[in-house]
Amino acid sequence: MSEHSSSLPDIEGPGQSIWRNLSLVWLVPVFALVVALGIAWQAYSDRGTLIEILFENGAGVTAGETTVRYRDVVIGEVEGVHFSDDLRSVVVSARVENAILPFLDEDARFWVVRPEISAQGVSGLSTVVSGVYIEGAWDSVPGEATNSFEGLENPLFVRPGEEGRRITLNVAPDMQLQGGTPLIFRGIEVGRLEEPRLVGDNMTIQVDAFIEAPHDARISSATRFWDSSGFSIDFGADGLSLDVESLASLVSGGIEFDEVYTNGAEVPDGFRFDIYSSEALARASAFVTDVAGEVPVSVQFDTFTRGLRAGLTVEMDGERVGEVASVTVHSFETDTGTERRHVASLLLDPAAFDALPEGAGPEELYEYLADAVENGLRARLSAEGLITSEFRIELAEVPRADPAAFERDAVPFPRIPAVATERPTMNTTAEGVLERVAALPFERLLTQAIDTMASIEDLAADEELRQVPAEAASLLADARDLIGGEDTQAIPGAAFAAVTDLRDILAELRESGSIEALTSVLAQADTAMGPVSEASERLPDLMANLSALSETAAALEIEALVTSASTVLATADTFLSSEELAAVPPALSTALVELETLLTALSEADVVGSLNSTLASTEAAADELPALVEQTELVLAQIGTLSSAYGTRSVFLTEAMDVLREISTAARSIAQLARTIERNPNALLTGR
Amino acid sequence: MGCPHCGRVHEAPGPDMCVRCGWRLAANVPDTSLQWVWAWFFAGLIAYIPANIYPMLRTQSLGRTSESTILEGVVELLHYGSYSVAIIVFVASIAIPIGKFFAIAYLALSIQRKVRQGVHGRYRLYEVVEFIGRWSMIDVFVVAILAALVQLDFAATINPGIAAISFALSVAFTMLSAQSFNPKTIWAYGDHSKT
Repeated sequence: MSEHSSSLPDIEGPGQSIWRNLSLVWLVPVFALVVALGIAWQAYSDRGTLIEILFENGAGVTAGETTVRYRDVVIGEVEGVHFSDDLRSVVVSARVENAILPFLDEDARFWVVRPEISAQGVSGLSTVVSGVYIEGAWDSVPGEATNSFEGLENPLFVRPGEEGRRITLNVAPDMQLQGGTPLIFRGIEVGRLEEPRLVGDNMTIQVDAFIEAPHDARISSATRFWDSSGFSIDFGADGLSLDVESLASLVSGGIEFDEVYTNGAEVPDGFRFDIYSSEALARASAFVTDVAGEVPVSVQFDTFTRGLRAGLTVEMDGERVGEVASVTVHSFETDTGTERRHVASLLLDPAAFDALPEGAGPEELYEYLADAVENGLRARLSAEGLITSEFRIELAEVPRADPAAFERDAVPFPRIPAVATERPTMNTTAEGVLERVAALPFERLLTQAIDTMASIEDLAADEELRQVPAEAASLLADARDLIGGEDTQAIPGAAFAAVTDLRDILAELRESGSIEALTSVLAQADTAMGPVSEASERLPDLMANLSALSETAAALEIEALVTSASTVLATADTFLSSEELAAVPPALSTALVELETLLTALSEADVVGSLNSTLASTEAAADELPALVEQTELVLAQIGTLSSAYGTRSVFLTEAMDVLREISTAARSIAQLARTIERNPNALLTGR
Repeated sequence: MGCPHCGRVHEAPGPDMCVRCGWRLAANVPDTSLQWVWAWFFAGLIAYIPANIYPMLRTQSLGRTSESTILEGVVELLHYGSYSVAIIVFVASIAIPIGKFFAIAYLALSIQRKVRQGVHGRYRLYEVVEFIGRWSMIDVFVVAILAALVQLDFAATINPGIAAISFALSVAFTMLSAQSFNPKTIWAYGDHSKT
């Protein structure tokens, strides 16, 4: 027990002994404590700083899981997701590393990266399995740190702090551009578009674009942008060529740019480039003066506004001075109630006005317009062509215009007074006609026409069908009856018989030599000439009939006419080529020769009286003949007209013409003969 | 006076060293023994705090990283319905170390304050503490094995957290603490009435 009592005072003794007896082993807990505190302090200092990001929605953002990343490196973690006080947005509180805190100034942007499939490709695929994360982007310049940020709904296409240049592009209304559309320089993607936005009373669409360094050096006043829709089709002498740009630009379009001429000047910041609809237009614009600042004016059209639309050219003295940016309908209160009017907003280029000095701005243009309106300048909608429906707006001095003033305070822009449109009806009519013409079923019509032609051809080629038209057939029958009528047919026969008789008588006379006989012969000849004369009298009737036939034929349908005329002519041909008719002139001639010899022998004889009477009747016959010739010629002319009207290619018509020409010749020679006899009756006797 | 190492019995005012094995002999209880106990005890206690605060396991599975402390792991296991495993982990990682702290603290304090108590009860408590101490390492073993086995890169990766080291240290410290405990002191200050 003694050793116990001796040890106890050491333990329970005053502090001095405790310190003296203190074992080195106490360093262990001290060391452990230091290490633990060190770990704790490090953990605390590594904890980072809490920032708050406001999002429209917090889809997929989970506290404790969702990370915050910068350049795809985790820099923090979401600690809590809760609503803002008014429940309007989701507040994501995240702890980020202190090292990057100085960079989280006002430029910092955050957005939630989600899996996205777009025309440019698939992005954020890793978030399908790992969950969404919040991506941050900021420039590399430390600034005044804040810890509350507005989150973006869409990924930022251009990160802050990227080397390059930001430019602004004017977008035509019909170009449907999307954010992220690539900017292409000679086929290489060198930048991206951001989301297009409406500016200035929703008149124009602008889009910011970012061009990465070093390609931003390409931007000068000579740079032109155009919409490369992805593919172009060119049809020319080289055949069909199809140009396809990248698949992404095929789907979402791409904006290409190039310097269209050399030595372009440096453009100031904030310069707005136009996006042309095609490369050709863009390159062509190299020769157009640069549009520096377009000045908006408005025109209110009270009456005719047909054809008024955005994109129309504004012209003054035949020169383009601007274009229609938009057409809106403004309603306003009047005494009679609410009225609505079309208001066109024009963008005028001051540089295009000859009257304005170089570098004139909006003020100068407005003053100039105010003066010009005083002098009768009016805007009017007119058509660019009679038939085309290309409209334009003209700024022209209208004589005797109603007094009006340039309204500087008008809404939305200073207003130029308008006058009624020129010739609206004409244009509308022309347009209407064109529309109706355009609406015609040309294809069907052509097919039908071709079918009709084919059937006509078949009809014409078909022998049986040629006989078909009953009217023509009957007409033909009439004609045939007429021509083949006994009276007509009898003409040559009678003439021939007369001549034969004459020859017999002359033969008798030659034997007898009696004057009495001659007298009787002449009397007989006289009687013989009677039928000839009679026949001649009937010829005009025949011709009249033929003429009537022609007229009827002319009125007939073509195939009927062709058929009937063909038959008629065939008959006529047969008639004319009949031996009997052919025999007439020679027989007559022989008879006359014989008569001449006889008469020479009997020149002294007292036969002149009866001869005279014979001649008189011959003369009468000859008198009719010119009329016959005329009639024939008339028919010929009619048929000729007919044939020229229905084409000259038909073999049949050529034949018909030939036949008729023969008739004509025959008739003319008969007439000549008759006229010779009439003029010189002696010729009957002398043969000349 | 018995040699603490080989058990050779010597005369009471004997040599400084054991005649058989050369172990240092001391007739009285060294005063430093309790200091050692307390020192290791506090080291273990300090190490035990981060062991419970910091994550034991860092599990990366398909890009997701999840960290869980010991207690979180137990809750998670309960949540998944693995009650038996949860209980084992709870007992080995929480109940035993805490019980050990209490036991050592009680023993040390009772000896320091010379509380008269049954010597056998205290000795049994001491033996239990010393025996069970190593079993607290079960959690560290699990973590070590898992971390060694599950290194499947993207699919799943398990890494030991700070807590694993802290816990291992804590267990080691408490074991040292228990071993520093000289059982003689139990007898020295004990109530021998029941013997």
